[in-house]
Amino acid sequence: MKKITHCYSLTPEWQSEFAKKLNAELIDNKIIKLPESIGKGHSYFTQIIPGISVLFIDFTLKTPLKITRLKSDKQLYIFHFDLSEHVNLIKINNKDYEIGSYDKLDLAIIDNELESSFKPAVNERTIAIRLLVDKKLLNDFTIMHSKKVEPKQKNRGIKDFFYHYGNIDSNSILLIQSIKDKPINSISFEPLLKGVSLKLLGNFFNKFYDLNPVNNDITKVELEAINKTKEYLLNHLYGSFPSVIFLASMAGMSESKYKILFRKCFDSTPNNFFIAEKMKLAKELLQSGKFTSLTDVIYELNYTKLSYFSTKYYEIFQIKPSEDFVKKHSSKI
Amino acid sequence: MKTIQHSYGADLSWIADFTNQFGGKIEGNFIIIPEELQTGTRYFLDCGEGIIAYYINVVYNKDFRFIQKNLDNNFVGIYYNLTEGEATVNSNSILYDVGRWRYNLSIIDGSLESDYNVKKGSRTFALCIFIKKTMLEEFLKKNNIHFHNIEKIANPSLNTIVRFERMSSESYHILNDLRKLEVGGPVFNLNLIGTVQMLLSNCLKKFSTERIIIQTVNSSDLTSIIAVQMFLIEHIEDQFPSIVLLAQMANMSESKFKNLFRKVTGLTPNNFFMSNKLLRAKELLEKKQLSISQVSDQLSFTNNSYFASKFKEQFGIPPKIFVKQL
Repeated sequence: MKKITHCYSLTPEWQSEFAKKLNAELIDNKIIKLPESIGKGHSYFTQIIPGISVLFIDFTLKTPLKITRLKSDKQLYIFHFDLSEHVNLIKINNKDYEIGSYDKLDLAIIDNELESSFKPAVNERTIAIRLLVDKKLLNDFTIMHSKKVEPKQKNRGIKDFFYHYGNIDSNSILLIQSIKDKPINSISFEPLLKGVSLKLLGNFFNKFYDLNPVNNDITKVELEAINKTKEYLLNHLYGSFPSVIFLASMAGMSESKYKILFRKCFDSTPNNFFIAEKMKLAKELLQSGKFTSLTDVIYELNYTKLSYFSTKYYEIFQIKPSEDFVKKHSSKI
Repeated sequence: MKTIQHSYGADLSWIADFTNQFGGKIEGNFIIIPEELQTGTRYFLDCGEGIIAYYINVVYNKDFRFIQKNLDNNFVGIYYNLTEGEATVNSNSILYDVGRWRYNLSIIDGSLESDYNVKKGSRTFALCIFIKKTMLEEFLKKNNIHFHNIEKIANPSLNTIVRFERMSSESYHILNDLRKLEVGGPVFNLNLIGTVQMLLSNCLKKFSTERIIIQTVNSSDLTSIIAVQMFLIEHIEDQFPSIVLLAQMANMSESKFKNLFRKVTGLTPNNFFMSNKLLRAKELLEKKQLSISQVSDQLSFTNNSYFASKFKEQFGIPPKIFVKQL
């Protein structure tokens, strides 16, 4: 196996040494073309804006190759987006990670102060985009955002050493897919690569610090259906509980799905929700002074046993119904 | 009608004067303008490399006339204009209708005066890119492009550039993606610069292949083709209406229709329809309100597997994985 070591910088200088070690041809300080003996393909490096550079990799290896990036004191983060349709290996801190292909994890963020090595699979097309981002710049982004909201991610924050390992979001995959087959020599390639890279970062931050996490578990249609059943319950408080089977069919769902979603929306079961609402109504009726006895009230609410009603009432309000009861003055009749 | 005489440029010096004329103020990168004149967002950003991006997403509450007289003529303005409503540009004493369904991409030399009229109630979404000519020239040279009027671009005393075109649907969707984002903040800036670069990439691709199509199509034919395009977009959820019907709509023979449609949009009618349909599908999936099969049904695909295979053909990943990783 051929082993190569190198280190990155935001400017294109690092490439000449790297190309020499590989016996590869360096064109325009941008494109490194692999020699036939190693494989077929190229990489493309360019600076986008001050503090952000991109390296686009697209090659098929013939012989195994291990590219080790030495740690350096340059303050960089490396975002590695891998869209190969097979598995490559990345070694960070002596631990191997599989990376590549969209059903595996395909995004790695590595601190430049950690050594890592990249072992692409042989005889498969390897496609990856590596963004080199100045830490200062990244701190700007994270600071701007953390003012609004605490980062909810599980990575080790802005500590000195960190790495993160996860999935690329779908829109970013589409972006990389769209650049995959563009000819590298054409005039439109460089701006496209720059554009794609910046949007990748943009997507990443948007996802990372999602400012308004939307409740994606419940779709609008389902929410409407649940609300419809809730309205039904509220309009029929005088009756008895209509049964989950009935409510689920009203919402057009299975009973189990209905119960799960109902809990998500109102943090209660349909029956408990119904009873709680009913008791609130009972309290109003009790205090209204329009009834002569407790039994009248409970008949009004379709209860048959006073003892059952009293227990439930006490459970909810921690007070006996008789204490809340305001009796109707017979003199008014 | 409110008349505003202003300049643009590939630096930020024009902004203060422009804002004053509206009686507005500058807040960060936003230009705030009184509500009675217009509602919405105007945002500018220096993208580096001599490129300024100017983002407009507004509704005009008055008739407006913008007279552009530039102090500097060392730049080229590229205007992506998706106005829904009435807007015209008068440049070199020729009047062009601009907006989403008309000429929505104009490239105008900074040395030219132009006169932009927009009617009350128009909803404008536009992205203007101002790029220094020297940058453009360097860029083209760097990339070894033989571009036969390169000297003309570099030398303002010689001929100037004016082009009125229709953007590719790719560019349209890039803009649409930008429109979905909340304006402001460093992450939006990244996206904005990214968008500008991608649009430039498309624009240069067009330059380098040098396909000036519109000019070779006569205007009444062009209007019919665009009408058909609008019809297809409006009925994007139905099945493809057949070439025969579309050709009838455009009052052309089928072969003429197919040829012209391809010239104008760069795609065959069916491909145009399908790719827009799939983009719509992608948007629906992104909203997470509908399942894959519901989307497939809503967009009149005959079955899910056909939908999935088409989706994969266009975007490179199957819809299931797309949804999973959103």
